[in-house]
Amino acid sequence: MILFLGLVVLLYGLDMSLASEESFEELKACLTSPLAKLVIWGLLSALLYHLVAGIRHLFMDAGVGETLEGGKTGSKIVIAVAVVLIVLAGVWVW
Amino acid sequence: MVTNVTNFSRSGLYDWMAQRVSAVVLAAYFIFLLGYVVLNPGLTYADWHGLFSHNAMRIFSLLALLATVVHAWVGMWTISTDYLTPMAFGRWATVLRFFFQAACGVLQFVLFVWGVQILWGI
Repeated sequence: MILFLGLVVLLYGLDMSLASEESFEELKACLTSPLAKLVIWGLLSALLYHLVAGIRHLFMDAGVGETLEGGKTGSKIVIAVAVVLIVLAGVWVW
Repeated sequence: MVTNVTNFSRSGLYDWMAQRVSAVVLAAYFIFLLGYVVLNPGLTYADWHGLFSHNAMRIFSLLALLATVVHAWVGMWTISTDYLTPMAFGRWATVLRFFFQAACGVLQFVLFVWGVQILWGI
């Protein structure tokens, strides 16, 4: 749901980044504000978690980790990998 | 076979496939773009504009845009049929779900047209 609504923000950013050199610089300046960084980090976090959990889904579609034990281990791996990526994304944004 | 009138493709099996295929496209696009901006700090407008002017990138972007619409529809359909149920909302659940899905459909269409304009307007 957040990702779906976040698409509006991302498309708006893409529009600004490509429309003209002035709007590109304007967007760049806007992205230096802490609030904008927080929004970008939030969207990146949601995307990264969704990506990692989605990849796990594909593994499970292929029959890997479908047992109760495998499911528990898989969910722990997803959370661990997602946390690492989200922290890295935060470092990159700031 | 279970069919449902608000399915993306009238079949859960096709929806399942459409969700996976669009997921792989989106994962590739996201990882590519994220990699590009991470590896190019101090990106200029010329670089960025050049990237999106490339024909291959235009096709990739349009494919990702289409995949976004498909993926978001399956996702929003899942949310609406999971949570906007008669158990949670009583007799108005179907009406509520219908309007929620209609709003999602309109927003997706708007996003798609807007995205095409951005990609082809440059």
